[in-house]
Amino acid sequence: MSADQPLLEVENLTTTFSTDNGTLTAVDGIDFSVDTGETVCIVGESGSGKTVATESITRIINTPPGEIEGTVRYKGRDLLSLPESELRQIRGNDIAHIFQNPQEAMNHCYTVGWQIVEALQIHQDVSDDEARARAVDLMDRVGIANASSRFDDYPHEFSGGQKQRVMIAMALVGDPDLLIADEPTTALDVTVQAQILKLLDDLQEEFEMGILFVTHDLGVVAEIADRIVVMYAGKVMERGGVLDIFDHPGHPYTQQLLECLPEFGGTGGGISGTLPDPYDPPEGCRFAPRCEYAEEACRTGEQPEEVEVAPGQRVSCVHYGPGGNPSIVRNDEFGPIDGDGTAPTDGESEVGPADD
Amino acid sequence: MATEKSERFDQVDWNDLSRSGRFDLSVNSLGMLLTTIPLALLGVYDWQFLGERTPTFEFIGLEQNLETLDFFFIFTLFLAFWYLVLPLYQNPRMTRYYWKEFRRNRPAVVSLGWLGVVFVGGIVGPLILNAPQQDLLIAYQPPVFTSVADTTPATCVGEVMNGRCYGTWQHPLGTTGGGKDVFTMIVYGMTISMQIGFITTTIVATIGITFGTLSAYSGGWVDEIMMRFVDIILSFPTFLMFLLILYIYGAGLGMFIVVFSLFAWGGTARYIRSKSLSISEEEFIKASRISGASTYQVIRGHVVPNAASSIITQLTLLIPGFLLAEAQLAFLGVGDSTVPSWGQLIATGRSDLSFAPWIVLAPGIVLFLTILAFNFLGDALLDALNPEAEAENG
Repeated sequence: MSADQPLLEVENLTTTFSTDNGTLTAVDGIDFSVDTGETVCIVGESGSGKTVATESITRIINTPPGEIEGTVRYKGRDLLSLPESELRQIRGNDIAHIFQNPQEAMNHCYTVGWQIVEALQIHQDVSDDEARARAVDLMDRVGIANASSRFDDYPHEFSGGQKQRVMIAMALVGDPDLLIADEPTTALDVTVQAQILKLLDDLQEEFEMGILFVTHDLGVVAEIADRIVVMYAGKVMERGGVLDIFDHPGHPYTQQLLECLPEFGGTGGGISGTLPDPYDPPEGCRFAPRCEYAEEACRTGEQPEEVEVAPGQRVSCVHYGPGGNPSIVRNDEFGPIDGDGTAPTDGESEVGPADD
Repeated sequence: MATEKSERFDQVDWNDLSRSGRFDLSVNSLGMLLTTIPLALLGVYDWQFLGERTPTFEFIGLEQNLETLDFFFIFTLFLAFWYLVLPLYQNPRMTRYYWKEFRRNRPAVVSLGWLGVVFVGGIVGPLILNAPQQDLLIAYQPPVFTSVADTTPATCVGEVMNGRCYGTWQHPLGTTGGGKDVFTMIVYGMTISMQIGFITTTIVATIGITFGTLSAYSGGWVDEIMMRFVDIILSFPTFLMFLLILYIYGAGLGMFIVVFSLFAWGGTARYIRSKSLSISEEEFIKASRISGASTYQVIRGHVVPNAASSIITQLTLLIPGFLLAEAQLAFLGVGDSTVPSWGQLIATGRSDLSFAPWIVLAPGIVLFLTILAFNFLGDALLDALNPEAEAENG
């Protein structure tokens, strides 16, 4: 692995499902990358294809009916062309997952200790005693009090937050380099959420992991992300550093997402309209049917090319493209092209009119 | 052998013995192996080196002879001990929980007690009671506390008062027309019933679980073909098949067990397939795959254990069907009349029903109680073992 090569590099990833109603395109040619020690957040509404995108990385999607195309390079190896047996070595060992709902992600037939030990023994030939010791260590590390006595407890005897901690412990058994966290805090209340995020942050440093974090909660994003990828209907709308995007959301979709957050000065009103039909996505920009700035050009052709509007920040919107006028969607100070993105602004309260 | 081990349970350090790595055998498998190998050797020895009539244990001076069926029966007993009873001992917490849940169902506790009697009677009985002997002199003795006209028995063993012959404790349930003791025959019938129960369950479980999970996990046209094969099995006229085989090979109890269990696993397979399909949609299956488990590990470690409660219940409810089928066949006179099963006993007493009803009633009631007990037991097991219900409470 050379120094300039990202830990995970996803190019043109497309995941489709053949169903009786035709072909459903869940993820449509997205690119992103994750570096060691970095937290990348995939953000978007429910149904945008975020989860499918992350599950396509280690080919957990059942194929058929699913079909995954494109390239996923992990430390330079293309995961999509690896045989299943080699992929199994990577799953859990190099790339670990944690899930939205820890209650369902655990087998209620077994004690949590058994499940951590199982995850460990899948990849490493260690004795039961040793595995138990390591599992207790991990449980201790993720903040489960009295770990050795809780080892023999069943999942239903843990609280939601503790279960998520156990899931994190299970994910850590293989000392992974990449942790894919699929909405790990969604099912938890806000105080526990903050603890889990803090824990992930600490562990990231300790284990030197890259984290790919999927969420629809921009409040969570603000706390942990280094970079953001905004997805909508299987396409990337915008990407960039967390501060750039929160300060100068380029894409109308990102702007509206931020507006949904009361704590960012938004109205909390939501985005009117619904996601497009995944069997027959609209022409042009996917967001055009719900976009108040949409023009004729937005509704024809393909999703617009991503345009760099600031260093590291790229937007897929007609108005930023050739012949477009970014000031239509950006009513903060014009000038994302020149300079370093520090154009004076009064903040998000001015971004776009409210949609209701 | 199994009982000898059980005495030393407390002294064994299970943690010390348990698998040291993922390729090592668990205590249970090790125990199974250690007990099965001598059994298999004995079986081969009996089959290859001893004549048909030579008792298996002649070399240590015992008269006991083991038939092929007995070997299978002992094998299934080992299976049940190492993979059902021992795990309960190893997980005392879950055992206590199951027992607590199970105890709430009073009829089921009584049923378990009754089945325990049948089980112990079936195993120990033939060792301490001599096989019932034909003795026409003492034919038609009435059960204890009852009496019949003294013209019915050839000679009355008990007291004769006012022209009536009273039953004695010598023959607590009376005797048959051939002078065989009904109680002894019922005890011998317990062995037969337990053999039917255990061996059919093992065969049905093995084929059904393998077939069901394979079918669920293969999917596509393999699944389609396997399930259509199950349809054929289910619609097969087992009774006619049995008559045909009986005509060709003669009817032993072994033949009955093999034929009926080979055509009975269809429902189990179909049930397990649907159960596996629903379990494989669970999030923890995905979690397991995502942490790198192979398909085999997923099925063995997560799908089958999660389906186990339903499987055990389903199998428990299957046993009464076999017992009834055997009794029906025996009653119809189809089947081996030398097998001392309850059905055969009922069949022998059929013609004497008018003056010696105990010959039919005694085994009939025992059969009825046993079948009822299995049904109650299955019902209670469903409540006690259902992990979904447990998860919802948690």
